[in-house]
Amino acid sequence: MSFGRLKRHFPWITLVVLVLIVGTVHPSFLRPQNLIELAGDIVPLFIMALGMTLVIYIGGIDLSAQSVANMTTVLATISLPMFGVFSGLLVILAGLVFGALSGFVTTRLKVPSFIATLAVGGLALSVGQYASSQRALYMDAGERDHAFGWMVGSGWSGVPHELILALVLVVLAWFLQNRTTTGRALKAIGAGEPAAVASGLKVERYKILAFAFSGMLAAIAGLLFSVKLSGGSPTLAEGFLLPAIVAVLVGGTPLTGGVGGVLNTLVGVLIVAVVRASMLYFGVPATSQQIVFGIVLIAAIALTIDRSKMRIVK
Amino acid sequence: MFELQKVEKKFPGVHALKGIDFTIKRGEIVGLVGENGAGKSTLMKVIYGAYQHDGGQVLVDGRAVRFHNPRQAMDMGVGMVFQEQSLIPNLTVMENIFLGFEQQFVRLGVVNWRKMATAARQQLDKVKLSIDPAMVTSKLSFAQRQLVELAKVLTLEERVQGDLVILLDEPTSVLAKEEIELLFSLVRDLRNRASFIFVSHRLDEVIELSDRIYVMKDGSVVDVVDGKDADVASIQHKMVGRNISKEYYREEKQKPFDAAKPLLEVHGISLAGRYKDISLKLHAGEVLCLVGVEGSGREAILRTIFGLQKPHLGHVTLKGRRVETFSAAHGVECGVGYVPRERKVEGMVGGMTVYENMTLSQMRNYSNAGVLEIGREKELARDWIKRLSIKASSENVDCANLSGGNQQKVVLAKWRSGGSDIILLDHPTRGLDIGAKEDVYDMVRDMCGAGVGIILVADTLEEAIGLSHTIAVIRDGEIRKWYDCPPGGKPSLYDLIHYMT
Repeated sequence: MSFGRLKRHFPWITLVVLVLIVGTVHPSFLRPQNLIELAGDIVPLFIMALGMTLVIYIGGIDLSAQSVANMTTVLATISLPMFGVFSGLLVILAGLVFGALSGFVTTRLKVPSFIATLAVGGLALSVGQYASSQRALYMDAGERDHAFGWMVGSGWSGVPHELILALVLVVLAWFLQNRTTTGRALKAIGAGEPAAVASGLKVERYKILAFAFSGMLAAIAGLLFSVKLSGGSPTLAEGFLLPAIVAVLVGGTPLTGGVGGVLNTLVGVLIVAVVRASMLYFGVPATSQQIVFGIVLIAAIALTIDRSKMRIVK
Repeated sequence: MFELQKVEKKFPGVHALKGIDFTIKRGEIVGLVGENGAGKSTLMKVIYGAYQHDGGQVLVDGRAVRFHNPRQAMDMGVGMVFQEQSLIPNLTVMENIFLGFEQQFVRLGVVNWRKMATAARQQLDKVKLSIDPAMVTSKLSFAQRQLVELAKVLTLEERVQGDLVILLDEPTSVLAKEEIELLFSLVRDLRNRASFIFVSHRLDEVIELSDRIYVMKDGSVVDVVDGKDADVASIQHKMVGRNISKEYYREEKQKPFDAAKPLLEVHGISLAGRYKDISLKLHAGEVLCLVGVEGSGREAILRTIFGLQKPHLGHVTLKGRRVETFSAAHGVECGVGYVPRERKVEGMVGGMTVYENMTLSQMRNYSNAGVLEIGREKELARDWIKRLSIKASSENVDCANLSGGNQQKVVLAKWRSGGSDIILLDHPTRGLDIGAKEDVYDMVRDMCGAGVGIILVADTLEEAIGLSHTIAVIRDGEIRKWYDCPPGGKPSLYDLIHYMT
């Protein structure tokens, strides 16, 4: 088997190897209860990474995801007493709007996505700061359970509800990617945008859509996170962005886009989860974790990027 | 002093240079002419070190050399004045002249600008250009930039011992008449310092300037003509050469087109710098060929009709309706299909399968409420793989792994299966082997038989003549001449070249 074909299988091989290593050194890691908890904890990050996947899939990047999630935690906490469960819809809509704005700025105003989303992220951050007056806010436990109790906790099966939510979202995203005209168009844009344009696709529209989905999923991630922690603050989701991008890239969706996809990100997030857990097991201090993610990110980009598409790097 | 002996160059699938013998003596001006694709640019690249020859020898003063890059060629006195201007617009003139060779002005890590300016002025004097060397290059006219390029190459004089060989690639294409005269007298004056290789599509200029002229065709030098006895007609004759068989282009299948059914009308469109006042009509069953040299504006006209470029003036009417929004999406909706020259970039999406590529322009027809009907897509792909005998093991293979000819068939199948009836073909047979070319010609005839109108920018003139019902000869963005091309009454290659150059 050639290296090129082997490359596609790197992500899950990495995952299995990592699990085996950690499992051999610390057998308690492999207890089903531990694994389920681990998976449950990673769900908000996974949802954000899912949205990020769609944008990276078309060859862009969404640096606003974390700020949108931050803003969401604040808005959800504030609006919960007023709108109950509909506050969820409200914040998801807000995420969608911010994502679409990023898409508009990058396609219509031709601003590269990394800078467009960085700027829109700044906007979202400010909204969060303004709305919260820069304080941590708390949800009323009763109201929270009434409106969003179904999102968290575990029912009779012992499976955390977050996992079920994640499963539903990944199935929907997979369907979008593989079974709809939108998904096909996104793939074409990522793999060969000039040919997509010359085939008459409305490329700008699809790109805006991808950014909007990313914003929406970032908002869902933020909502879930704030429900889990029962509150919101403009810095609650701090530290999400880097691991989310790492998850997409180590999963096998390169920055140049066109290949990979949501299932790859599922594997990528699990790799991130295992790396994170193993750092705890091996006693790496929490403050150093971003160092590890930074290094993994650089390695993942260098390994996955398609050099034929990105000859000149600035 | 500079000599090529039996030089060979092969690319995958193309034998670009076949045993080229080429000599240039001290102070000589040698012309190099040939059709597009005859091998001129490959030969030039071998000479100035951008490509390396696979066979034969390159000799400088009788010694065999091998240039691994242009810098090495420059160190041996071979310099290139580029047609695509190679100056960096936001640098000053002197920075451009000494780009990569600043070390001579550096002391203790600091550039002595005054010294560089003096040296630059000295170079500019050689080309009789009196401009401030500290000027930003983008402020210069094209003619001035051309001279700065020449001055830059002439710095070799001081750096290199021995004689210079300077290549001029289409140096006159952006110049006005007086500027050309100026350049020519300059080149003549510089003969005591350097020999020149002059490459141009404009044969009269080549004849005027050159001592000897090399005529290339299909990767070989077919003749070397003395500048004094050369005339345009005989050189054109040698450039195009051989007779071509009518069967090859399926002339027997050429049926008259339906003059009562115009599909497309173009009314006086202009796009600054590309084309000017173009009007044409395309009918059902017609092959309309745009003929001209590289850069004459043919590609831009196709892109405008497809919707990728909006003209500044004039308008386009598709099937009786005036086009208001210029976008590829609109073009496709109106039944226009575009087979671009850069097949791998714009024609198909590498990394996507045959069936995904075929339905990319018509997903609407293979989906229900946005959900793809993949079974039907595959069925379509299997059908067209059979119809066009595409060599693909299945409809699920990645298009990037198909050969060029089969990729081209996938692109054509994309448009034909979607019912496009105005097909724009830009170099559809470029890089294909003979069998695949004939398949494309068959498809062209079949499409015409089915009432499709085709605008063709052909790879060679023979192809243009063989396939077309109508030919428009374009030079410098304007249509210079129309020809009707019924079977048996086609214009000759020389007729066309006469208006092209």
